Amino acid sequence: MGSLLAYVGRGTLNFLRYTGGIARLGKDAAYWTLWAPLRGKGIKGRAAIHQMVLAGVNAVPIVSLISFFVGLVLALQTAYELRKYGGTVYVVNLVAVAMSRQLGPLMTAVIVAGRSASSFAAELGTMKVGEEIDALETIGLNKVKFLVVPKFLALLLVMPCLTLLADLAGIAGGSIFTLYELGMPMGYYWTRATEALLLRDILSGLIKSVVFGIIITMVGCYEGLAVRGGAEGVGRATTSAVVTSITLVIAADMFFSVLFYYLW
Amino acid sequence: MTVTVRERGQATIVDVEGQLTFESTPDLRGHLLKALKKKTPAAVLVNLGAVGYMDSSGIATLVEGLKAAQANQVPFGLCGLSRNLRNVLELVRLDKVFRIFASEDEALQQLAGSLPQDSD
Amino acid sequence: MDATDAVIRIEGLTTHYGTRRILNNINLQVRARETLVLLGASGTGKSTLLRHILALERPTEGHVFINGIDTCRASEEELNRVRRRMGVLFQSGALFGSMTLADNVALPLRELTKLEESTIQIMVRMKLDLVGLTGFGDYMPAQLSGGMRKRAGLARALAMDPEILLFDEPSAGLDPITAAGIDALILNLKKTFPLTMVVVTHELVSAFQIADRIAMLHEGEVIALGTVEEIKQASHPRVQQFLNRVPEEQMRDREAYLRSLTAGF
Repeated sequence: MGSLLAYVGRGTLNFLRYTGGIARLGKDAAYWTLWAPLRGKGIKGRAAIHQMVLAGVNAVPIVSLISFFVGLVLALQTAYELRKYGGTVYVVNLVAVAMSRQLGPLMTAVIVAGRSASSFAAELGTMKVGEEIDALETIGLNKVKFLVVPKFLALLLVMPCLTLLADLAGIAGGSIFTLYELGMPMGYYWTRATEALLLRDILSGLIKSVVFGIIITMVGCYEGLAVRGGAEGVGRATTSAVVTSITLVIAADMFFSVLFYYLW
Repeated sequence: MTVTVRERGQATIVDVEGQLTFESTPDLRGHLLKALKKKTPAAVLVNLGAVGYMDSSGIATLVEGLKAAQANQVPFGLCGLSRNLRNVLELVRLDKVFRIFASEDEALQQLAGSLPQDSD
Repeated sequence: MDATDAVIRIEGLTTHYGTRRILNNINLQVRARETLVLLGASGTGKSTLLRHILALERPTEGHVFINGIDTCRASEEELNRVRRRMGVLFQSGALFGSMTLADNVALPLRELTKLEESTIQIMVRMKLDLVGLTGFGDYMPAQLSGGMRKRAGLARALAMDPEILLFDEPSAGLDPITAAGIDALILNLKKTFPLTMVVVTHELVSAFQIADRIAMLHEGEVIALGTVEEIKQASHPRVQQFLNRVPEEQMRDREAYLRSLTAGF
């Protein structure tokens, strides 16, 4: 019983320490991204663009492909059920709304978490192990400004763009199924899809994607900066960055979905 | 650090006073390059007599000055170096690269006497 | 010794990792232009002490003053001002792997000064020349040997013309010839610049060669402090053990040994 309590207690403490660490990093990143540039302390523009290419441009093919497949499968699976009620035209509405509100942002976040949270953690972790972070600090340069903010800025911008792309690719994927299986003309499909979508469906997805971007950067960078103990530590941090960021993304997704469902 | 630029005969003399550190070297650099660009003087002489300390940005700036002078075929010299400054230049093996003179008068005599083409 | 003369002043420094005490009430002063070697076996806390001088770690108790500024309580801006006067050579060189050697050396100059790029380029080449890496500016750190990486790390440490230079195990992991080369480089710097240096090492030969004074650490405490000669004659058994390279004795108490093997059953 005592050991169970100790276990729970230690777990809670670790969780609090972790969230505290993430929050502190988030606060620093927000300061160096939003406030410091106004006070003439500059921002690493070129590094941010480099990160946008790594995290954003290079993710375009995989995000499009996976979303396309998800859209196609979504159309197929819903048609399977809706066919029983003769309502196959509603496949279009379902695919369009589900992609924009839910699957577009979520699939994008999962892919970006797999690609970028891991690479952030590995990059910063390797730098930590190689004393590069210490070197940066002893030179008198702020590690958050130099290493975290470019990634933060990059994902803030790239996530909504990738999400829009995922929405489009998913809806396009659905259109392939409806064209060949249900014989629905492309033009009709797209008109119906745009009619079914409300601006807030897309916007709520984009808002979520920004939140996911923040989660992914913070978890990836925090894990990297917290690395201890050599190459094995880097490996652990990389795994943990992906697992934790996906978990938190899904938790945040649930929270925001509920919020939007009732409020908007 | 203060920099004053004056003309003496055909030559331009740059007087430097104070500590030559990375806070102040961009100022010296501006004066040096301007002195070389405005019109081609017969010689440029940097008087370091009142410089107590010079860091590596100071040395780098003098190297830039020398390079710009050579590009314009203007004789370039240093004078009034303290023992300390001389040591610093020796350390980075630049004491042989610069033409270093004991006094302003000696420098002007020699620099003005040298034809532009053998200034390097 | 005059307290105002000290560039680095460590007062009552105590620190813990978790519940384990790493440093215990360290009091040390490093005078202007002297080379102090922190000597000790691995795990005696000498690298931890260096990390405290660099303000990379916060002590449980005590103070580190650098040029009179308490780095444990300084604001980030004050701290950065102090750090600009310090150069550090880390054990691995700690070069930024994503940048060329020239960019590594140029980084502090680009970020912390308003110098023109052309001036910076000349300075970078001078620094690389100083450490014997003329013409290696375009190499990436991964293309270099360990010794060259340390030299490049030293060039970066010298980028801002520091007053204080700190070394963490400068010869660790190097072959004897390369290690001697680094020692010679340190001696050369010491001769030519008005530097205050702190060198962490466990290499006796190197310590005797470069030190003005040696502080010997054992289990987080300074057990001997003095010139090379004074240290050689120190009577402390641990100092003599270290100097004569006597291995740690086996545990002789049979009961204690048995207990250590079977504890926890």
